[in-house]
Amino acid sequence: MSDTILDKEEHMGSAIKNGLRLAAVATAGALVLAACGSSSSDSSSGEATESAASGEGAPGGTINVLTLEEQFLHVDPQRIYTGVDLAFFNGYTTRTLTAYNMAPGAEGVTIVPDMATDLGTPSADAKSWAFTIRDGVTFEDGSPVGCKDVKYGVSRTFATDVITDGPTYAISMLDIPKDADGASVYKGPYVTEGNDVAAFDKAVVCSDDDKTITFNLNRPAGDFNYTVTLTAFSPVPAAKDTGEGYDDAVVSTGPYKISEYTKGQKMVLVRNENWSKDSDDYRPAYPDQIVVTFALDLAAIDQRLIADAGDDQTVVTFTGVQPENLATVFSGDPRFVDRSVDGYDPYVRYLAVNTQKVPNQMHRQAIAVALNRAEMITIAGGSFAGDIGDGVIKPNLATDYAPSGMWTDMFGAAVADTGDAELAKKLIADSGEPMPPITYQFPISPTNEKAAASIKASLEAAGMTVTLEGIEAGQYYGVVLDPEQEKELVSAGWGPDWQNASTVIPELFGANGGFNLSRVDDPAYEAEVQAALAMTDRTAQADAWKALNKKAMEQAWAVPTRFGKIQYLWGSKVGNGFLWDAYGSYAFGDLFVKS
Amino acid sequence: MSTATEPTVALVDAPVTGLSLRQLAWRRLRRDRGAMIAMWVLVFIFGIAILTPWLVGLMGLDPYAFDGTVLSPAGSLPLGDWGGASWEHPLGVEPLTGRDLLARLMYGARVSLFIAVTSVVIIAVVGTTIGIIAGYKGGWLDTIIGRSTDLLLAFPFFLMLIALSPVLTQRLEAAGLSPEAARIGYLIIVFAFFGWPYLARLIRGQVLSLREREFVEAAVASGAPTRRILFKEMLPNLWAPIIVYVTISIPTLIAAEAVLSYLGVGIVEPTPSWGKMLADSVRYFAVVPTYLFIPGTALFIVVYAFNVFGDAVRDALDPRTGRGIA
Repeated sequence: MSDTILDKEEHMGSAIKNGLRLAAVATAGALVLAACGSSSSDSSSGEATESAASGEGAPGGTINVLTLEEQFLHVDPQRIYTGVDLAFFNGYTTRTLTAYNMAPGAEGVTIVPDMATDLGTPSADAKSWAFTIRDGVTFEDGSPVGCKDVKYGVSRTFATDVITDGPTYAISMLDIPKDADGASVYKGPYVTEGNDVAAFDKAVVCSDDDKTITFNLNRPAGDFNYTVTLTAFSPVPAAKDTGEGYDDAVVSTGPYKISEYTKGQKMVLVRNENWSKDSDDYRPAYPDQIVVTFALDLAAIDQRLIADAGDDQTVVTFTGVQPENLATVFSGDPRFVDRSVDGYDPYVRYLAVNTQKVPNQMHRQAIAVALNRAEMITIAGGSFAGDIGDGVIKPNLATDYAPSGMWTDMFGAAVADTGDAELAKKLIADSGEPMPPITYQFPISPTNEKAAASIKASLEAAGMTVTLEGIEAGQYYGVVLDPEQEKELVSAGWGPDWQNASTVIPELFGANGGFNLSRVDDPAYEAEVQAALAMTDRTAQADAWKALNKKAMEQAWAVPTRFGKIQYLWGSKVGNGFLWDAYGSYAFGDLFVKS
Repeated sequence: MSTATEPTVALVDAPVTGLSLRQLAWRRLRRDRGAMIAMWVLVFIFGIAILTPWLVGLMGLDPYAFDGTVLSPAGSLPLGDWGGASWEHPLGVEPLTGRDLLARLMYGARVSLFIAVTSVVIIAVVGTTIGIIAGYKGGWLDTIIGRSTDLLLAFPFFLMLIALSPVLTQRLEAAGLSPEAARIGYLIIVFAFFGWPYLARLIRGQVLSLREREFVEAAVASGAPTRRILFKEMLPNLWAPIIVYVTISIPTLIAAEAVLSYLGVGIVEPTPSWGKMLADSVRYFAVVPTYLFIPGTALFIVVYAFNVFGDAVRDALDPRTGRGIA
C-alpha cells in the first residue's frame, strides 16, 4: 500500500514522489509510511512512547509540521494513498466511517467508529456491509453529511482517468460487473454516456433516511470495516466536486479546515466552526491550528529538532530522523529520551527476482542464498534500519506472520546472514543450466549505490555476473513496473493496506497483482490465492497466507532483505508523540501543545 | 632545491649571458620558494597516485572491502575517535560501509588526476593544433574555426555536462565500456570537447603576432615547407602559453570532476573519487567531522599547489606579466 518515498539519503533536496498508486518503498534507506503494523516491542523507544503518550491533552497552541516535500502528493480524499498523508488528513480534516485507534502499541491497529455509529454490520456471508452515519456530522459549510455524500465519494474512485493514484479497492471489491476489457462497467460520476450507473446503485445502497449505507461486495470480506478506514471511502459533496481541481479545494468534515495552501511554502489548518464535538468521539482536536512548512532540507529539520528552540519545540515531521543523527538521538541523552521513538514501520524491503528472466528456481534460490543481507542492513544504518527478514509478511502483521524457515532449512542448510557463496555455487551447479547474467536495478541515492556495490560483490563471490543499473529515483517504479524495461533483479518494498495479508500476497505474486515485480504467472499458486481471498474464517485465512508466503520464498520470487524500522524525534512541547503502528507515523489527530 | 640537475647548477655560477629562454625560466622558477614547495607536493601526490595499487597492497588496505566490524551496530558509524582511525585504518573508515578511507583517498586521487591530466593533454594537443592552423592560415579557415570556438564557448558548460550525462554514458556503455570506464570516459570527452576552444583562441592570438616576426618571414622567404614553419619555427615559441594554460587548467578540471561527482553525474560507486567522497561526507559533518575533512583537505592541497605552481610558471616564463624575479 501507500507510497510516497522519501528517501532518507536523497538529501540534495528533492523528495522522491512516487506517482503510482502502489505502495512501494524505493530503497534500502527509504522511508515510507503505510497502514498496518502491530506492536513494536522495541526497547528504549517503547518506554519513551508510554511516557509521552500518557496524560490528557490541553487545548490551544499551534502544531508545526516540517517536511522536505514541496506539497502533499494529494489532498483529495479519494486520491490519498500515502500512509503519512492518510494519518494526517484523517486526523484533521477528513472523516471516515471507521478509523484506526489513535494509541501506541497494539491498540493502534484496532479500529473504532468515526462517522459511523459502530464498526459496521456484515451480512451472514460477509458479502454485504452496512454502516449507519451518526447525527450531527457536517461539511465545513454546515450542511449535513448523509449516505449520498459517502456514496458520491466512493463513486469518484471509478473515474480512473481523473481520480488517479488512490487505492482502488472500491473497484476491485464492490459487486459491479466488468466489461470485456476487465474494466468496471461503472465509470464514475463524470461520465454520462455508456455508463452503467444502475450497477453502482445496486452495489452501494442508501437507506430512505439517507443515514445507512450498504456495500455489496463481489466476495466475502470479514474485514471490510478496515477497508473503509481509507479516506477513499470518505464523503465528498457532489455540488462542490470539481473533479481534478478538487485536489486543491477539499471540503472538510473534520475539526479543522484548510485556510491556506501554498505549494512549496505552507499549509495552514484552522478550526472548523461547523464541526460538532458531539458528533465526533474520535478526534480530541487540541491545537488551535496546524501549520505545515514545505520544502525544507532534511538535515536542517533534524538540526532544528535537536536544538529544540522557540517554535521548534512544537515541531513534528513526516520523515524520520536521518541516519547520521540516529546515534546522537538514541544515545540515551536525556534531551531526547522523552521525545523520540524507534519502532517498526509497515514495510518489508526485498529484492524481486523477475521470473521471466530467471525462470530456473534454483538460480533464484542461488541469488537468495548468496546475498550478504547483514551487510545490506549495515549500509542502511545498522539495527536502526531494521531486522533480517524471512518473507514478505512482517511480524507486525501478527495474525498472518509465521517464520518461513527461509534461512534455517528451506534451501537444504542454514544460511548465514552474511550469505553462503558455496551453497549458491552448489545450487547453480545442481540446476544443470548456466546462470544467466544478472542486472540489478535500484533507485539512485548514495546509500543505494553502496548497497548495490555490496549486492554485486556478494553475488559475484558465488560466480554470477552482475551489472548495476541505477535509475533516477523519481522514475524508478515507472521503469521497473514496465515489463519491457524490468531486468533480472529489482529493489522494492511493500507494506499492507490493512491488517490482512490479502493486501500483500495477491498484490506481489497474484495474477492481477498491482506490484507483481516478480512477474509470477503460476496458475496453481493463483488458485490458492483466490481461495484464500474468499475465506471468511480469519484463522484459516491466516494459515493460507502463511503457507503462500512460505511457497513464494521457496520459489525465491522475492528475497526479503529487511523488516524496516523508523525513528522519530519531536519538539519538547509536543504532547502524545508516539509511533502509530497503523500508519508508521504520528497519530496526528491526537497531538497537543504542552503549556 | 639544492638538488637541481647538473647543467643548471653549472649555469648558476656561469656568466648570465647565453642562456636560453627555457634555462632562464627554470632559474627564475627555482628561486621562487613557494613554487618549489608546490612542485614537490605535486610530485609527491602524482607519485602516490601512480604507485597506489602497490602502496595500498603493501599497507594491507583495500578500498572496496566492506567491513561491518569497525562500525557501530546501531547507526553504522565508525567505532572509536577520529572517524575510526587506527593502525589498520590510518585515516579511519567510511560510515555505513567500513571501507578504508586512506585507500579510497589514494585510489580517488588516481581517478581524479587521471581524468584531469588526460583531458588536459587532449585539450593541449587539439587546442594548439587548431589554434596554429587558424592563426597561420587565416582567411576562411580562420573564420570557420573562430565561429566554432565562439559557438562552443557560448554553451553553458556545466549545464550541458549534467544534461548530457545520462545519454552519453549510456552510449559509451552500449559501445562496450564498463559503467566505471564509461563515466570516466564521459568526463574526459566532455572536458576536452568544451576545453580546447579557450586554448585554441589563445594560441591563435600568439600565432598572429608570431607570423609577422622576422624569423618566420625569413623561413618563409627561404622556402621552408609550411609544416616546418608551423612546428619547428612557431611551436617552440608557443610552449610558454601552453604550459601556463595546462598548469592552470588541471586544478580547474580536478575541481570540476569533484563538483560533478558531488552532483551525482560524475563517478559512480564503487569507484572512489574525491568529489564523491566529499558529497558522501557532507551529511556527517556533525558526527564524523574527519570524514569530511580528509577529502576536503586533499582537494584543497592539490588545487592550491597547482595554482601556486601555475602562477609561478607563468611569471617565470613571462616576467613582464607579474612579480617576476629575474
